[in-house]
Amino acid sequence: MKFKIWIGFFLTCLALKSVALSASLPAMWEERIKSVVAVDYITETEEERHVSTAYGVVIDTEGTIILPSAAIDVRVDPKRLHRFKAYSPGEAVGSDATYLGQDSYTGWHFVKVSKAMASHLVPITKWIAPSGTPTLGLADFAWGIGLRNKEEDFIPYLLQSHISIVESLPQQTAIAQQEVAGPGLPVFTKEGYFAGLAASSFAQTYLEFSKTDHAGAPVMLVDVEESSAILVSSEVIPMLGRRPSNVNGRPLAWLGAYGLQSLDREAATFLGQANQSSVVVSEVLEDSPAEKAGMKAHDIIIAVDSIALPRFRPDRVVTDFVERNVLIHKPGDVVQFTVLRGSNRVELKVTLGDEPKLIREAERKYFDRLGLTVREFVYADAVQRRTSVKVHTGVVVSYVKSNSPVDGAGLAENDWIKEIDGMPVDTFTEATSKLSAAESDTHRKEFVLLVSRGTQTAVLRVKLR
Amino acid sequence: MGGFLPFYIIVFLALLWLGSVKSSAASMSRGFTELLNSVVRIDVRQVNYEGGSKRFDGSIGSGVILTPDGLILTNAHVVSPKAVEVTVTLSNLENVSAKLVGWDHWTDLALLKIDMDEVKRRNLTFTHAGFGNSGKLFAGQTVYAVGTPFGLTRTVTRGIVSNISQYFDAERNEDGYETGLFNTWLQTDAAINPGNSGGPLVTEDGKVVGITTRGYTGANNLGFAIPSNTAKEVVAELLKSGSIIRSTVGIVPGALQDLEDFYALALNTGMLVNSVYPQSPASLAGVKAGDILLELNHNKVDGRFPEQIPTILNTIAKLPVGSQLTMTIKRGTKIIDIPVFTEVLESSVGEEGAFDKWGLTVRKISRVYAREHGRSDQNGVIVLGVQPGFPADSAGISSGDIISAINRIPISSLEVIVHAHANYTLKPEATLLEVEKDRHVSFVILKP
Repeated sequence: MKFKIWIGFFLTCLALKSVALSASLPAMWEERIKSVVAVDYITETEEERHVSTAYGVVIDTEGTIILPSAAIDVRVDPKRLHRFKAYSPGEAVGSDATYLGQDSYTGWHFVKVSKAMASHLVPITKWIAPSGTPTLGLADFAWGIGLRNKEEDFIPYLLQSHISIVESLPQQTAIAQQEVAGPGLPVFTKEGYFAGLAASSFAQTYLEFSKTDHAGAPVMLVDVEESSAILVSSEVIPMLGRRPSNVNGRPLAWLGAYGLQSLDREAATFLGQANQSSVVVSEVLEDSPAEKAGMKAHDIIIAVDSIALPRFRPDRVVTDFVERNVLIHKPGDVVQFTVLRGSNRVELKVTLGDEPKLIREAERKYFDRLGLTVREFVYADAVQRRTSVKVHTGVVVSYVKSNSPVDGAGLAENDWIKEIDGMPVDTFTEATSKLSAAESDTHRKEFVLLVSRGTQTAVLRVKLR
Repeated sequence: MGGFLPFYIIVFLALLWLGSVKSSAASMSRGFTELLNSVVRIDVRQVNYEGGSKRFDGSIGSGVILTPDGLILTNAHVVSPKAVEVTVTLSNLENVSAKLVGWDHWTDLALLKIDMDEVKRRNLTFTHAGFGNSGKLFAGQTVYAVGTPFGLTRTVTRGIVSNISQYFDAERNEDGYETGLFNTWLQTDAAINPGNSGGPLVTEDGKVVGITTRGYTGANNLGFAIPSNTAKEVVAELLKSGSIIRSTVGIVPGALQDLEDFYALALNTGMLVNSVYPQSPASLAGVKAGDILLELNHNKVDGRFPEQIPTILNTIAKLPVGSQLTMTIKRGTKIIDIPVFTEVLESSVGEEGAFDKWGLTVRKISRVYAREHGRSDQNGVIVLGVQPGFPADSAGISSGDIISAINRIPISSLEVIVHAHANYTLKPEATLLEVEKDRHVSFVILKP
């Protein structure tokens, strides 16, 4: 009898609790879905167009939106991104938006919607808890927003879960038991306060077995539409002001230490670094701030600005930690690295530089009749080819149209054109003017390229008629 | 022509196979009968470093006896310096052991010597064959391939010469050794199969005009042999010193075909320099890719067709190492003489070794490998294999990785790693390796 009463009491409590939530959550929901948008845009290549969709959160009354890092391929030249449109949840018609660029530190892409649309939106900052940012802890309830796809007018839907673990990756990240929001969309506490942004999915892979091929191996699937990982609000709120001043996200702090690798724990113990993390520098790039400060290949970074590198799980998170400690700075700032070289501990004061022109920023030009796109040879090209970065000559082939004249001659993407018709091409302008001449001269029978691939070169004859 | 090396799927016709079937020799002419009795089967037991430990595997090929004192000519890919045991089956089915006396992977030829003490002791007999003139062959001429395909006892197949000078871009055999830079190939439709490797291609009078080497996978009757005129020269050199020392200047040639107009050249004049290896003698002397080589030591060069290129390279190869070669070059409208000092031709395949306690097999980075891969120095070894469950495997090392240092000592020679392994064998303790995977360096520990 006593037992029954206890059970009855317990059930009543549960009922009361859920009633309390269900009374307020739909109301909170109606207000908070005004803080999210869906964005789509077109990536235009030489002959094709791709449409991509991403979800973002509104950060101010001007209508600035942040999209997660994965929303746009960082290798794509922003000039190739077109027709950004923003959609309110449940709306079939989008309104024009502008891409503002990516912030290298957070990885966020910033987009601005029209004034008319902005007036209907509510910035996420409105939901910041008055007593400061709430922290998600073990077993805390969290709810968030998911958005369906374009065919379903980006209808918003509710996701909710409880937190199962909080880890530094290296940012504070809460992992929920189930998917709790679409990547890039906000997560709230039960009181409706902003608790964080959903990141990409965490350990959410599924095996799909074929229904027809019974002996076949299953396919691994990753949920890209919903996520259970939450970048907590204390990591988000201080960064909302990092709106890039230009589409390329310049200036970019640059160290020039290539191939950072976390030090294996056994090796760390062997080297007397068992109680902390360390990072191996694979190569020090020529003419980089790291080289100028005296950093050497195979140096082991053990501290940044005199702070020993903390332990992370998994170990490899520490490379992100070091990279973020560089990216938070501006070119010209001095960062101190403590490295282990042989049995010596060496202090290096590095004056960070501005990242050399990236491949995505390189100038490029497409020649339809010849069938290729060439782009400027930049610093990363020299690094990739292990040649001196001080000599920037020639152009790199970034696209070859199939069955075109250059395709027939055996030219391939990533080939490095050094000479055209027997004359060295030192600059992008020189190369494109020669190619333009060949492109427009319909009487021309052939032209000849000297091309480098790997450590070899070859003379290729391009037949035009 | 066309720049970069295309990828051909070619099988080298050595084979792992056991079993024998009796057959009786057909007699046509006295010469042919003697030839038949000079063809041998060769069984080889050799070291293999692929799997993370020193293992032995067996293979079968063919060969032809050239002299009364038991010199046998076969392919370099049948018997290599990795062979630990070579057994020859004579035409009378008697087995006798043999030793490698000379090896040249560039022409895919190897020279063996039968153990003549054993021959005398056991009173064994054999005949020997003589070379014909491969330069006199014509397409359509009847030829015979003799060998032990799939290990079958001496088998004769008949065909014709399909091409007297087939060209292949230089390539690598299964062990990674370069081959085919200095010769063209005889092509025949005589049936040749795995196991025919190293056997002779002969004319009706029993003269050896080629050494059967390879065929295309999946193709019908496309077999290739090294011409006897190349083999004759190689045999003479191998007899003298066991290997062939060649000169190189480090250029990659290309055929000029169809480019004469562009370079303002008369037909049949000059050879294109497609590529110059960095740090090579030609590069240091100022030869550039896109140059036209008009003359070598004031002798005119004709590299209009790919088939002509091996001869030109062979002219350079025959020069004494370190000798001065005058390369007459056309660059734009200028003609210049560039003196180049030749250097010794080396393979990119470095020394190999097995380290049992670690379950690790490696190959040293050679000078050529370093150049081909744009590496600034020759330190390091390439991992050939790791044995599952052994320390190298547990440390996350896998084949293709490059180990550059051990206990912080750069691996400048295989000795460095041999020494560290010897220490580990005496006293197993944690050993620090610096390992490069795709230009990313990790420090890992080999531990007992």
